[in-house]
Amino acid sequence: MSYRFWFYTLNAALLICFAVAFGMDYNAEWKHYQRQYYNLAAEAAEKNAAAATDPEKKKTFELEAKKFHSAPMEIKQIISKDLGRVDRCITCHVGMDEYTNPTMKNDFKDHPFKAHPNVDTLTKNHPFTKYGCTICHQGQGLATTVKDAHGKVHNWEHPMFEGQRVEASCARCHQNFEKLPGAEVAAKGKKLFYEHGCVGCHSINTVGGLVSVDLGDINDKPLERIAGFNFSQIKGKDGKPLPEEEWTLQNWVLGHLTNDPIKVIPNDPLAKINPEPVAPTGMPNFTEEDATGQRELSVEDAEAITTWLISHTAEQLPYKYMVTQAAAPEPKFGDAKAHGKFVFEKYGCAGCHGLHGTKGRRNFNAMAKDQDASAPDQVAEMAKGREPTLVDTVGTYTHEELVKKISGGVPASAINKFKADGPTTPLYMPAWKDKIKPQEIDDLATWLLSIAKKDTSGF
Amino acid sequence: MKLSKLIIFAMLALGLGLSAARAADPKTPAELEKEKAMANPYPNDFGPDTLDAETLKSYPAGAQAGYKLLRGAGDKKNCQTCHTSSRPLNSRFVEPEGKDTAEKEAAVAKIKKDHPEYFSKENKGIWQIEPEIWKRYVKRMMAKPGCGISNEDGKKIWQFLVYDGSHRKIGANGEKWKAHREKLIGELKTKKAARYDELAKDNDL
Repeated sequence: MSYRFWFYTLNAALLICFAVAFGMDYNAEWKHYQRQYYNLAAEAAEKNAAAATDPEKKKTFELEAKKFHSAPMEIKQIISKDLGRVDRCITCHVGMDEYTNPTMKNDFKDHPFKAHPNVDTLTKNHPFTKYGCTICHQGQGLATTVKDAHGKVHNWEHPMFEGQRVEASCARCHQNFEKLPGAEVAAKGKKLFYEHGCVGCHSINTVGGLVSVDLGDINDKPLERIAGFNFSQIKGKDGKPLPEEEWTLQNWVLGHLTNDPIKVIPNDPLAKINPEPVAPTGMPNFTEEDATGQRELSVEDAEAITTWLISHTAEQLPYKYMVTQAAAPEPKFGDAKAHGKFVFEKYGCAGCHGLHGTKGRRNFNAMAKDQDASAPDQVAEMAKGREPTLVDTVGTYTHEELVKKISGGVPASAINKFKADGPTTPLYMPAWKDKIKPQEIDDLATWLLSIAKKDTSGF
Repeated sequence: MKLSKLIIFAMLALGLGLSAARAADPKTPAELEKEKAMANPYPNDFGPDTLDAETLKSYPAGAQAGYKLLRGAGDKKNCQTCHTSSRPLNSRFVEPEGKDTAEKEAAVAKIKKDHPEYFSKENKGIWQIEPEIWKRYVKRMMAKPGCGISNEDGKKIWQFLVYDGSHRKIGANGEKWKAHREKLIGELKTKKAARYDELAKDNDL
């Protein structure tokens, strides 16, 4: 074939490519939203003009409507120099662009047209032109399609904080934020984290237990470190496995609290894959129901804890964005028992021994009552392993012995195994003398002895 | 000749095979627990794990029944699930007899008055006399996850330990007991010096 043929064919192909590219850009998703916003805003201005009796005002509204009708389609962005972010969210959320909508208020009910809530308080303290959007909401600031911008796309590690989860961002900059208006859910999450004993195993920036991972930078955990298999085991609120686009860090954290964690992280207790058996996660099952059918953590509780946890990141923000606030002083206690109870929560003893020491939690492959060595499902039998229920056991100790036990801890090697060749138990008791002050241990022992079940049988 | 050699060879091979198979058998939790106990022994563990027949014969029927339960039988190993009988039988613990705590406290006070040497600092490893020390320990062991001892059996074991301690470790047998404990402590010091130091530091010999 001649060169001329190839010249014409390739030029035609190039022209088609240009036409397609032009068409795609012309019909960009954001343009539809922006055009819709301008139409709605123009319509509102026209209504106002029709209703206005003052000719000056009428003219102003008419001019406003005209301006919206002829507004050019454009990518709008906030460049936040301090934070190193460029956010184009206002390209679609035009009502939140203070150049297009100087009052930052409107009557539109739906996203992306509606204005930002609580604008009087929030904008005053967090001017959007300085902060941008993603510093609070996460998501992919540079993107210009809904899916990409909201960050629910493969390889984008920080999808949007939806709903109440945005409170995580308050906790990120506001130290000791418990009394901060608008951060109530995150504050509840922090409280629950201590009450239910999460802090007994998980430290936050080294403050807390040593049994499991430090969660001080949990929001930075790369998703590539979480196996797809584990994600696939998480069931959502509807009881169905999470679709792949929901395999986010936020759901990873939440999934630990709304599912039985050993189903999510079963590991290899029978050494089918690894040369040595590996116990499932030691995390308690917070979905377990008590005699009244109540879960230890409701879905709302789990959401609150998730909200607080995802506020933790190692990302450094400029110091001037941080709001320092001294921690509330520890309450003063008149008697040792009340202080001991406080210490029990402060150090997360409930993480292993249950709320108020009333129910030892699961400790995989620890010896327990009613385990059957001949049962076909040995994993289920190993899962019956329990930590001590303190109300049943502490009464067999003297105060001095308890202090010694708490101070020295119980290593995993000292815990009786149900299956001798099974995995090491995931939970153990650290030597708390390294973390808890002597007076605190003393008072904790006093409180523990006060909750011991009383014996009336003569033995 | 050849046939007999073959038979001997086959028997040897079978014997080796069986012992290898036995060695490959995983240890039971009880065996592992005992190993663990012996890895961190107390002086008690170096003493006998049975009572001599004459002493046992002199005990009342209830105490003898408690002793049998402590030793366990067949699959029901009771205390011996986690340690040998040596541990309680050679223990320094003494709980005096008495129908209730008040009576036991009074008994301890009397022993203290009559035999202050039982409570002296240098005899800490020989005697530890407290009103309800065995009750607490038996219950603590029973509260261990996986302990199959019933409340009824636990009570009998406790009653035996109370009787045994009150009759074999103090009073007329006090000196004999002291010599016995000193021998066990000496053995620990010789055989497991590091463990001895650890327990001595913790006042737990």
